[in-house]
Amino acid sequence: MPVAERAHAARGMLAALWAALRYCYPLLLVLLLWELVARAELIRPLFLPTVTTVLEQFWVLLFEGEIVAPLLVSLYRAFAGLALAVVFGVLAGLWMARSKWAHWALDPLVSLGFPAPKIAFVPIFILWFGIDHLSKILLVAFTCVFPMIVATYHGAAAVSRTVIWSAEAMGTSERKLLSRIIFPAAQPYIFSGVRVTVPVALIIAFTAEMIAGGGGVGAALMFAQRFFQTPTVFVYILVMLATGLVLDLVMLRLRHWLIPWDDEAV
Amino acid sequence: MALSVAPRAWLQGGSLSSWLRAAARYLPIAIVVLVWQLVVEFDLVDRAFLPSFSETVRALWEMTRNGEIVVNLLVSLYRALGGLLIGSLLGVAIGLAMATSRRADQFFGPLVATTYSLPKTSLVPLFILWFGIGNVTNMLSVVLACLLPVIVSTYHGVKAVPPVIVWSARAMGTPHRLVLWRILLPSASLSIFTGIRIALGFCFVLTISAEMIASRTGIGKLIFFYGESGAYAYMFGGLLAIVIVAYAADRALLAAMHYFLRWHDSIHAAHAGG
Amino acid sequence: MSAPHNDANFGIGTLCMISICVKNLNKRYRARDGDVPALADVNIEVAEGEFVTIVGPSGCGKSTLLYILGGFLGADGGTIEVNGKAVTGPGVDRGIVFQEYALFPWLTVAQNIRYGLEMSGTPGRQCAEIVERLVRTIGLQGFEHRFPRELSGGMKQRVAIARTLAYDPKILLLDEPFGALDALTREGMQDELLRLWQATRKTVVMVTHDVNEAVYLSGRVLVMSQRPGRIVQEFPVTIDRAGEREVTVLNDDFNHLRNEVWLAVRRQAGANAGASEAARDA
Repeated sequence: MPVAERAHAARGMLAALWAALRYCYPLLLVLLLWELVARAELIRPLFLPTVTTVLEQFWVLLFEGEIVAPLLVSLYRAFAGLALAVVFGVLAGLWMARSKWAHWALDPLVSLGFPAPKIAFVPIFILWFGIDHLSKILLVAFTCVFPMIVATYHGAAAVSRTVIWSAEAMGTSERKLLSRIIFPAAQPYIFSGVRVTVPVALIIAFTAEMIAGGGGVGAALMFAQRFFQTPTVFVYILVMLATGLVLDLVMLRLRHWLIPWDDEAV
Repeated sequence: MALSVAPRAWLQGGSLSSWLRAAARYLPIAIVVLVWQLVVEFDLVDRAFLPSFSETVRALWEMTRNGEIVVNLLVSLYRALGGLLIGSLLGVAIGLAMATSRRADQFFGPLVATTYSLPKTSLVPLFILWFGIGNVTNMLSVVLACLLPVIVSTYHGVKAVPPVIVWSARAMGTPHRLVLWRILLPSASLSIFTGIRIALGFCFVLTISAEMIASRTGIGKLIFFYGESGAYAYMFGGLLAIVIVAYAADRALLAAMHYFLRWHDSIHAAHAGG
Repeated sequence: MSAPHNDANFGIGTLCMISICVKNLNKRYRARDGDVPALADVNIEVAEGEFVTIVGPSGCGKSTLLYILGGFLGADGGTIEVNGKAVTGPGVDRGIVFQEYALFPWLTVAQNIRYGLEMSGTPGRQCAEIVERLVRTIGLQGFEHRFPRELSGGMKQRVAIARTLAYDPKILLLDEPFGALDALTREGMQDELLRLWQATRKTVVMVTHDVNEAVYLSGRVLVMSQRPGRIVQEFPVTIDRAGEREVTVLNDDFNHLRNEVWLAVRRQAGANAGASEAARDA
């Protein structure tokens, strides 16, 4: 690249960096305020460790293996549960959209279950499935299946009937109709449902671990809190925050890749 | 999902009274309850793991009679709905500010985008460290959880107000400070209410989570306590109570929405989300 | 020949106030890759009580001009004066009716109509009287407590017009008011508008793409060029509106004038896109 172009590219990158910083200024402000207040000990270190202490603790925990291993456990539970919920939810949603009887049978159950705080079922799931992975996975699945059913149902029901009639007129069987017309048409809604449900899956996994223990980031967080290890508490909170952010970004990228034909930001 | 989309074909046939129709609507739940009862009655499932429906109801009745259920429900409702109220009011204010002021948008925008992905239950242990076990910890978690959906939905609702509506109002002499109150908020009210409905779901989850993590009172604590001590009928009873209460609260909000938004031309489509 | 319905002709020597005065108006839109000129050097004068229509090809900027007159958009150059004062923002002296009706959906018909009155602090009893009178004028008795969602397009537009008339602005700005209506409703609304204007004699500036409508209603038709818009032609309208619609429309004078205006607009529409076509036709 000739010098002039290189300089132009560098200026462009600098401008982008400056714009990114300008965007984040409230976050940097908060961090700065936190650091100053903690350093001046306006709040006791037991309650508010400095940012630097928290960052140091992060590295310590990372090298002691206390970050990656519990995180993988939590993520495994969240995604296993989510996978179950997506499979069952999509099937149920599609079925409800096509069969009046399925709709009649499932709708009151979904209506009842949707607003219910399913985290309250933690003790039952522990009782039935123990303290390790299975209970958390099933609780995640139980919680996430409802929004998945609703999202799929709306996607399938949104297919205009003229589209369906055209397909039927061209001799499409019910099975083909589902797989080649309705399911693709519902995909943006389904994907939107998944995107909204991923954080739910994470939250349920973390929270169930906080309540009942049994490994994972949630349990580690509670452990640290019980022993007043405040920097560690902060580290785990930030780990949860970062995980959520990264996953959301991934979902956005995935959408572009999986459903490029849909221009509607559902 | 309202059952207005239900199988009309056979329901409308003949001269079925509305009572029968309502009964038909809830029949699937009755069937599930029946199956539950029979499965335990016939020892298909160990009674130690699943008390029967009749046992659950009996336990619930006993807890109602001695006031245990009512007291704990009230405590939890106070925390949940109190937090919802504060969170909603703050959320609407912030969302409104973000939608009308560039400065506010630049300040709150990044904060909202970042904390959106944070599970607010993760803050409960921190709040316990700071404020101990009790209402403050609980309510603060609820407020934070309810803030974000309301901020986002208010923001989008206000941004979506058609400019010609604002222009008409200004042409008719509406001063700037009134535009917010009399034009922007009513125009965005469907969006705002939808956000509040989402926050309603969150507020119960947060309250119960915080109570189960550490609390002396509340329905979450009750369920947890009976779970720990093996009194499963009572645990199920508490669970049944909160499921009914949460459902009733959601229906009440929906009814309020249908009343206050009866002028909206897509209020019936707004049943999205259960 | 000064029949009471022969509106456009003010006659030599008639003293009239200039209500709206636009001089050298410019407007640019900021786009990602440079500025797009929307209006270039527009000059208009509207006398008090005149009914003026602006026509032109799609996208020529006629609505933009109206929005600037209304004070909703700012200009980049030139001056606009209404009744001697510069325009700095929206005001109760310039009522506006939009193509999309812009009714407040959370208010009933009656509440919509009384909105402007409330803003100006009119006492309650007077409000009620004015609202009642207007509801009768637009023929929507019985619908006072309905919400806009329950009304048809024509009914909504009638409410929009009534709402604007309620607080009696001196000037009416109409942005393709009947564009969203079907042909039959549109004709009925045009007649109603004409009757209202003849009764109130407000200054009206209307924007429309319907040449028929322009000639039917107004005393002067201004033709705007393609973007960047400027006024390129002016047609005074001196048809006789004494009779019913059928009489007026089937009249030769009307048709002749309408054809001229239509040709003028078409020429403007084809101005950029038809250089080769014109060469072919020549």
